[in-house]
Amino acid sequence: MNIRLLSISLLLPLIPSLLPAQTLNPEKLLQPPTDTWPTYNGDYSGRRYSTLTQINSSNIGSLSLAWMHRIGVGEQRGAASEIKSTPLLVDGVLYFTIPDHLWAVNARTGEEIWHFDWVDHGGHLTGQRGVGMYGSWLYFLTPDGWFISFEAKDGKVRWKIQVADAKLQYFTTMAPLVIRDHVIVGVGGDAMDVPGYLESRDPKTGALQWRWNTEPQVGEPGAETWPNAGAMGHGGGMTWLPGTYDPELNLLYWGTGNPNPVYAGQGRKGANLWTCSIVALNPDTGKLVWYFQGSPHDTHDWDEVETPVLFDAVIKGQKRKLLAQAARNGYFFVLDRTNGKNIVSAPFVGVNWSKGVDDSGQPIPNVAKEPKTDGALMNIDGGGGTNWNPPSFNPDTGLFYVNANYGYSITYLTDTDAKPEGYGGSARTIWSQAALEALDYKTGKIRWSHFFPSKGSGRAGILTTAGKLLFSGDPSSNLIAWDPETGKILWHFGLSSPVSNGPITYTLDGKQYLVVGAGDTLYAFKLIK
Amino acid sequence: MNYARRISISVVLFLAVSLLPLGAQTAGTTAAKSKETAAEQPPPKGKAARADKTAIFLGLGAAPDAAASDRGAKLFSANCAFCHGAKATGGEGPDLVRSALVLHDEKADLIGPVVHNGRPDKGMPSFSSFTEAQLYDLAEFLHMRIYLAANRGTYQVQDVVTGDPKAGEAYFNGAGRCKMCHSPSGDLAHVAAKYQPADLQAAFLYPASVTGFGPTAKRHEEQVTVTLPSGQSVSGVLKRQDDFNISMVDSSGQYHSWPRNSVKVVIKDPLAGHRNLLDQYTDADMHNLLAYLVTLK
Repeated sequence: MNIRLLSISLLLPLIPSLLPAQTLNPEKLLQPPTDTWPTYNGDYSGRRYSTLTQINSSNIGSLSLAWMHRIGVGEQRGAASEIKSTPLLVDGVLYFTIPDHLWAVNARTGEEIWHFDWVDHGGHLTGQRGVGMYGSWLYFLTPDGWFISFEAKDGKVRWKIQVADAKLQYFTTMAPLVIRDHVIVGVGGDAMDVPGYLESRDPKTGALQWRWNTEPQVGEPGAETWPNAGAMGHGGGMTWLPGTYDPELNLLYWGTGNPNPVYAGQGRKGANLWTCSIVALNPDTGKLVWYFQGSPHDTHDWDEVETPVLFDAVIKGQKRKLLAQAARNGYFFVLDRTNGKNIVSAPFVGVNWSKGVDDSGQPIPNVAKEPKTDGALMNIDGGGGTNWNPPSFNPDTGLFYVNANYGYSITYLTDTDAKPEGYGGSARTIWSQAALEALDYKTGKIRWSHFFPSKGSGRAGILTTAGKLLFSGDPSSNLIAWDPETGKILWHFGLSSPVSNGPITYTLDGKQYLVVGAGDTLYAFKLIK
Repeated sequence: MNYARRISISVVLFLAVSLLPLGAQTAGTTAAKSKETAAEQPPPKGKAARADKTAIFLGLGAAPDAAASDRGAKLFSANCAFCHGAKATGGEGPDLVRSALVLHDEKADLIGPVVHNGRPDKGMPSFSSFTEAQLYDLAEFLHMRIYLAANRGTYQVQDVVTGDPKAGEAYFNGAGRCKMCHSPSGDLAHVAAKYQPADLQAAFLYPASVTGFGPTAKRHEEQVTVTLPSGQSVSGVLKRQDDFNISMVDSSGQYHSWPRNSVKVVIKDPLAGHRNLLDQYTDADMHNLLAYLVTLK
């Protein structure tokens, strides 16, 4: 390098527009997200907590719309298109998705830089959570099981590999999680009784590094929780939401979905490991280190994929490495993430599917409330106490926040065969009530809750910040800022649809932005100055 | 955590919920739901429409040829069921509903050669006399078996009328206090002639859960009285409310809206009785009450 070039390169940091663009520094994945939102949850912890304070509880009244970006895709297979993905923000560019589509837009203006449109051949269009990034490459999953890598700068496809077979009713929706030289990829699919798995793939080539199966093989530990190899080999347990990672312990945490057939458990007697569990894996080998099963022998579609949120906090005077999850089955779990030992199990909505918890903190299913041909009345929403929508943990308040659904539902068994197939039953929600809840990690007690007067389910993600703010949405299309300590509403803004993703925040050009997806539109906010 | 404490938490939760202003919510069965959005999708009208919509959403492709499937069922029963089971879910031979080969098959392109040639190494004989048309029918039968398992929009709730009608009548007139608002010869006369038992079950539990539920549909509407700072009050049917605004339509059909923090709002939910009973029913109460209501032909 000659002197002249050297002097130019020394000047580069002062001239943002000349920086080599659209490259993620891997160090950013290990830091609190500020000028970058480099992974689905912002960082590996899953807390969705930002240290930024420019937008705060004293100036929130000046928060205003900076730009909107409407995707203009229209209906997808008869359903309105909806942004459920959490955008990544790297070098001033936002990358976000819906099923079959990936966009790069300018984070200052919402201007589209490029757009990728995939023609699928099957698979479910239930949602798309976003992309993963490694250096200058992006990773995206299609409904029909294709794992595609892109050049971030122009959206050029580097390669594509099929990682799940849509003909077997697998589909893929999750945001790939990048950990060092691993891209972790999970799958969905429970229409046709296929086994779940989680894979690690090479960021350069997409080649398989390891695969962890959510069911054991014959003769392995855990196989005793299934009646036979056939049930175990078709046992479900999908891995459809991104997990979290502790770099110090080098443990990858993941939630697994419900067993199959979903509502008909008569052909799979036993606890059905490792479905409906939180598992800790070695990210270099895919070996299981520990597990905690929140819904043994599930018959209610209680996917336990909800984000396992990692934080260090004090329990009975001792600083502990913790993992907390508000599970779809209505229980809030706090575990010691070094070994999976349970610390707290407490319901945050009605949980009459269980008879309480045992000494290990594991809920005990209530056989009387398993699906029945003539119906069993459940005091929980048919879709569960919460769902995939991201929660948040705020270290300033010590509270875990979740959008919960109270409800009543009837659950039916429709396939009474000794060897049932598919869902084998259904749940019919008859009444529901959405609420934002703040849970005390030490006890699981509800510190405060906000019951929405609006009708409809709560499906918004949550973001908390050091600016003493909690951002989320209500079922009637309001984006709302709360005081995370007290639950008092401080600000709101009416959108065209309910918040449908996890909001993010970042600093760009010295300004703090808040970005949220609602229906077919991405909205960016900043302070009016 | 001990059990008593858990119970007390549950009680607190229920109290918190039951003190809320209550609202109607329509939700389909999860038969037609997406994996994560049980309550968000309105149920399509009619069973066939629901099945088609679910198939499209799940990416299942076109429904198999029903006539061919019926012909194939006979062929299967006569030739294949002995080893593969009456429902093709396996016996001595493998489960064909979950078979990767069958799932990948298109119009017998993969199934045909296996049937024709057999699998001598695994003990399956060849069925070389099957015609192309018969292979197609056989394949359509297997694809129909898969379709009916994978498409939860086709699932049918079975017999839900299992309770004791006498006990249900006693509950109606006694513990349930249903007779305070309803009469078997009045608003509920012939209700069982108009609704399928499963819908009737959902409807008595929470009437607004069944779209357009007849006898009492008008009565689902929440009545709201808004008192303005001037002291003037306006009553009407609640249209929409959130934490910030409320809107209603008064008896003359006039629409009104106010910021929530500028007015006093009192909402009367005509379904509060139904909501409160949800906390009290045993499953036996639910089944008995339905058994009684289905006698109201």
